[in-house]
Amino acid sequence: MKIKFQLNGQPVEAEAPIDETLLDFLRNRLRITSVKKGCDLGECGTCTVLLNGKPVRSCLLLAVQIDGEDVTTIEGLSKDDNLNPIQEAFVKEYGFQCGFCTPGMILTTKALLDKNPDPSIEDIKIAFEGNLCRCTGYDQIIESVLRAAKLIKR
Amino acid sequence: MEEEIRPLPKFDYFSPHSLHDLSTLLKQLKGGISFLAGGTDLLVNMKKRITIPKVIIDINRIQELSFIEKRSNNIHVGSVTRLNNLIESSIVQENVPLLTEAIRFLASHPIRNRATIGGNLCTASPAADAAPPLLALNASVKLKSPDDEKIVPLSEFFVGPRQTVRKHNEILTEIIIPCEKGSNAFMKLGRRRGFTLSVVSVAAFGIIKGDKFEDIRIALGGVAPTPIRAYKIEEMLKGVEVSDRSIEKAAEIAKSISKPSKRAKRASVEYREAMARVLTKRVLMKIAFEERG
Amino acid sequence: MYQDYLGEVKKLLHGKDYKVVGKNVIRVDAIEKVTGRAKYTTDFIIENALIVRAVRSPYPHALIKKINKKPAFKIPGVVAVIIGDDIPGENQCGYYLDDQPLIATDKVRYIGDIVALVVAKDKESAWAGADAVEVKYEELPAVFDPKEALKGDFKIHNRKSPGDVKVIKGDVEQAFKECDVIVENIYKPGSQDHAYLETEAAIAIPEAQDGILVISTNQGPFRTRNAVARVLGKPQSQVRVITPYIGGGFGGKDTYGPIISSLAAVAAEITRQPAMIVHTRYDSFVYHFKRCPFEIRFKSGATKDGKLKAIEVDYLCDCGGYAAHVIGLLKRAAYHSTGVYEIPNCNVQGIAVYTNNLPVAAFNGFGNPQMLFAVESQMDLLAEKLNIDPVEFRLKNALVPGSRTGTNQLLDHSVGIKELISKVAKKADWVKKRSKQKRWQSETKKRGIGIGCSWHGCGTTGFKHDWAGASVILNPDGSVTYSTGIVEIGQGTITSHAMMVAETLGIPYEWVKVELNDTSRMPDSGETHAQRGAFIGGTAAVDAALKLRKKLNKLASEILKCDEDEITIEDGIAYSLNDASKKISFNDLVREMYQRGISPAEYGFIKARRGYPDPDTGQGDPYAAYTFGCTIAEVEIDIETGEVNVLRLYPGVAAGKILQPDVVRGQINGCAMLGLGYSLTEVVERENGKMVNPSFTDYLIPTIMDKPEIAEFISVEDEYKYSGYGAKGVGEIAFIATPLAVANAVYDAIGVRFYDLPISAEKVYFALKRK
Ligand SMILES: Cc1cc2nc3c(=O)[nH]c(=O)nc-3n(C[C@H](O)[C@H](O)[C@H](O)COP(=O)(O)OP(=O)(O)OC[C@H]3O[C@@H](n4cnc5c(N)ncnc54)[C@H](O)[C@@H]3O)c2cc1C
Ligand code: FES
Ligand code: FES
Repeated sequence: MKIKFQLNGQPVEAEAPIDETLLDFLRNRLRITSVKKGCDLGECGTCTVLLNGKPVRSCLLLAVQIDGEDVTTIEGLSKDDNLNPIQEAFVKEYGFQCGFCTPGMILTTKALLDKNPDPSIEDIKIAFEGNLCRCTGYDQIIESVLRAAKLIKR
Repeated sequence: MEEEIRPLPKFDYFSPHSLHDLSTLLKQLKGGISFLAGGTDLLVNMKKRITIPKVIIDINRIQELSFIEKRSNNIHVGSVTRLNNLIESSIVQENVPLLTEAIRFLASHPIRNRATIGGNLCTASPAADAAPPLLALNASVKLKSPDDEKIVPLSEFFVGPRQTVRKHNEILTEIIIPCEKGSNAFMKLGRRRGFTLSVVSVAAFGIIKGDKFEDIRIALGGVAPTPIRAYKIEEMLKGVEVSDRSIEKAAEIAKSISKPSKRAKRASVEYREAMARVLTKRVLMKIAFEERG
Repeated sequence: MYQDYLGEVKKLLHGKDYKVVGKNVIRVDAIEKVTGRAKYTTDFIIENALIVRAVRSPYPHALIKKINKKPAFKIPGVVAVIIGDDIPGENQCGYYLDDQPLIATDKVRYIGDIVALVVAKDKESAWAGADAVEVKYEELPAVFDPKEALKGDFKIHNRKSPGDVKVIKGDVEQAFKECDVIVENIYKPGSQDHAYLETEAAIAIPEAQDGILVISTNQGPFRTRNAVARVLGKPQSQVRVITPYIGGGFGGKDTYGPIISSLAAVAAEITRQPAMIVHTRYDSFVYHFKRCPFEIRFKSGATKDGKLKAIEVDYLCDCGGYAAHVIGLLKRAAYHSTGVYEIPNCNVQGIAVYTNNLPVAAFNGFGNPQMLFAVESQMDLLAEKLNIDPVEFRLKNALVPGSRTGTNQLLDHSVGIKELISKVAKKADWVKKRSKQKRWQSETKKRGIGIGCSWHGCGTTGFKHDWAGASVILNPDGSVTYSTGIVEIGQGTITSHAMMVAETLGIPYEWVKVELNDTSRMPDSGETHAQRGAFIGGTAAVDAALKLRKKLNKLASEILKCDEDEITIEDGIAYSLNDASKKISFNDLVREMYQRGISPAEYGFIKARRGYPDPDTGQGDPYAAYTFGCTIAEVEIDIETGEVNVLRLYPGVAAGKILQPDVVRGQINGCAMLGLGYSLTEVVERENGKMVNPSFTDYLIPTIMDKPEIAEFISVEDEYKYSGYGAKGVGEIAFIATPLAVANAVYDAIGVRFYDLPISAEKVYFALKRK
């Protein structure tokens, strides 16, 4: 099925097989490999994309469902090496280790801060509950989000 | 047995834009239909080959199914309303806070951005978190087929694990929840603190007059093949003095009416029964405490 | 033969403060990881790569009677079906022992043992093909309990045990007679899944000159190369392994990396087309090897003045169908079975036993979490009997410089455990919180506090040589190209290598570029495990950089006409300490090297300093150095539901020089959470040896909501002489201490001791009910 949608602010037209998840479609057809497959069942958060600004699980969407919608992946956050403040915060606060959960974490941060520029730790925990990280123990992720909030406000 | 994760099976896909189009479509199609709402159960089940639909009807583009309204003394919620929209809805918070309370910790934030209330009920998992509060609130659901429409009390909707009275060409269009003033309590016990399926959940709505329970409605999840209303407790408590003893007695009943399936994973039968008791006690205490201050 | 790297570096730097080491820098991998550009195995999307799907045994123990490939070829996309006999080289992928065929030919030994590979043009055909292959089995009696396996008449292999270990010291029998208190218990710490977020995957691509390139999720590119060369029957030079970023390893990809790589390689070699294999999350949970369950009988005794006298330990390791990693972790557990204490009399005997369970893997701690769980539980039990505070009891017995370990290794320096225990206890306010009187509790909740101490030898376990290579090239513009065989699995090691190279050369850290990990660039560096990445791999980096630095100093002294000892290089400028106007930039210096024909490249190569314990007595020096850990946990238990809520953790390490404080904090906090999962929620439920809760919904790793407050870690920098910058390892140590502290805290709270892990809510509930 032919679909048209906005990807990181750019219009995209592409052929999407009906039985393909958005995750597989982004990775295999559009080569957006920052969206990761950690479980394929909605349990881990590595496949997070923003659908009309909200974080969702791309492994639990069909590609054809995004026809006419707006999708953001981490590529939409920065151009070249000019980091977005959220990315800068993750670098400075060591909010990543193996990095496999990181694109999902950063997109989740974006959605959270867009809605709530001054989140409490409790707000952060609720927003990140579905994003597993096996490496960091989460503290430095929380600190990254807090620093990002500060950087954006500046 | 946990199933393998496979690539999605082949299917036909339709995405009607109105209930009218849907009816037309349903008349043409034969069977093997699955409605796709948030997809957070359906796509998982398809990958695991628990469900192999021939046809998927995506109902996300049917605007008529997505609403939250107060009409006379009822709240009407369209079946494709996302759980996060429900949580954020002031109408729901003000009129049926028990529902807000219960789905606040359902799955995780990003899942709730897609998952719908209709999907949660139609999946009919014994552990579905929206079911106990809606049972306790005396909610009913509207089912619509191409040539019929009916309202079914939620207490008659579930018939077994993953089974409901809904026929394959019927769509759940809305959920109707009567508004009543009273106290609410919901508790869920999972196996870790975050992002976890309920082992046992209990929802209760209650009115206390003076020192007595005037009306209590209580429902449990995870203790039987379907979410259940605990009528026995309700009858026992009616008009009874609020006390540790009466609550303790109610909690004992919760335990005795619990009949978890022996095959249910995630916790033993004995633990589920015991937790039905503990959570029932805590939920009733909370109601008693709130009402009496 | 062993260089005092720390001394040499300090001398070259003229005793000045480090410019890079010990600071927080921007990680080498940072920009790629926060922009999503970092490539992991499956991100290398190869046009037309064939998809490989394994056909796996549904039986735990059976003879393979017949394999019929034909039905698979009815599926249009299927290109090849490969069975064991088709393997071009040797059909063997055992880790320590040659007991594991890559593709089983005569019999299967666990559910999931591979019997064939289906290679197809697309995923659907590969799956359908794998379903279609017909395998006839004849079931054999299977055994899942190691004790039964040891006793009964089961023939999984031609011997019951792949290996055993002994540590014998002093006279245990006599010593127990002299003890005033003796405690004896049986402990059963269970399995655990690594549950890294990236599942196992490998891509193999035929290359020129009959070579093959493998890109895969592994923690040991050289071991992977050697394994692939073996199954393909090729010289190691024909196989090139690139290890891209890895989405978490924790040891699991050390064990499974070579296996999955070999599967892809065999498929690519036979079809001469690129081939890839990717595990689904289900595959990963059900088929990749996991932490080894132990059963430990532990007897320990002390005198009434609180001195440990003797231990007698025997234990079984259930290694599953093949030996895989068991031999190493079996031995490591024995060598650490005294805990961080001086114990003059030891009789420790361990044995690994084949069963029809899933085989076991390396996993953070490598046998030590299991053994030390017993050790530290015993410590608390003894302390209680002696009526001594657990911290005080530990301090009385802790190792100090000059102590000898259970293997009789003399620890002459770098032994910071005693100071560490004191500091962590002070930070946690132990004395006050441990006193029962003032403690907060309610009708339904009870609180407790507990301590756990750990140690972990750095480097591979002492029966295998431990070496590493690295290469440093100075480019004509003064920039530096660095290559290591140590893999970036998230731990930040390549950054610390770059830091050490920069510090040693006297240049800014940013000038060092770390190359993609590729076996064709440097000599064998061993695996990225056993806390050896910075400790041994990093020392190889320092070795290479030091060689170049010496040349640079000499050259600078010639150019600047001064004494070699006067030269220092800082921030990319070489100058004379006596006359700062005599200077030359690093770039010019390097260009001069080229012009004078002095080689601007060096390989580093080191071998760890240590011995090999005697096989009969276990006496000897199994590790070059030991890292120490100490964690205190505060818990709150809901006595009606059994839920254990860990409120606070106070971690601490004595890990030598801390190269990057914030990165180490990340390691420690991450380890603490991995340990929390092992303590409370992570249960590998098995039926017939097969995991039956294979999803993140049912295998419960800690979420952000489960995170307790984790205090800033305490560090005792007990530098080690023979490593670059005095660093030891930190990757595993904080993990090990966590469950020990939690288990002891649970006991403190409710007076129930758990002899197995994890301590699930349900278990606590029933234990309290029985009580
Ligand atoms: C990781 C994860 C965690 C989860 N955790 C929880 C949890 O804690 N608690 C909990 O209760 N659930 C949980 N769930 C289950 C799921 O998210 C919820 O049940 C959700 O509400 C389902 O809604 P949906 O819109 O996604 O349903 P879908 O997947 O779209 O549909 C589910 C089923 O209902 C049918 N259906 C949907 N809408 C209609 C309709 N209007 N009329 C007729 N049939 C319909 C579909 O055909 C399908 O069979 C979890 C799921 C995942 C993936
Ligand atoms: S891959 Fe989608 S949530 Fe894990
Ligand atoms: S950084 Fe590895 S999973 Fe989060």
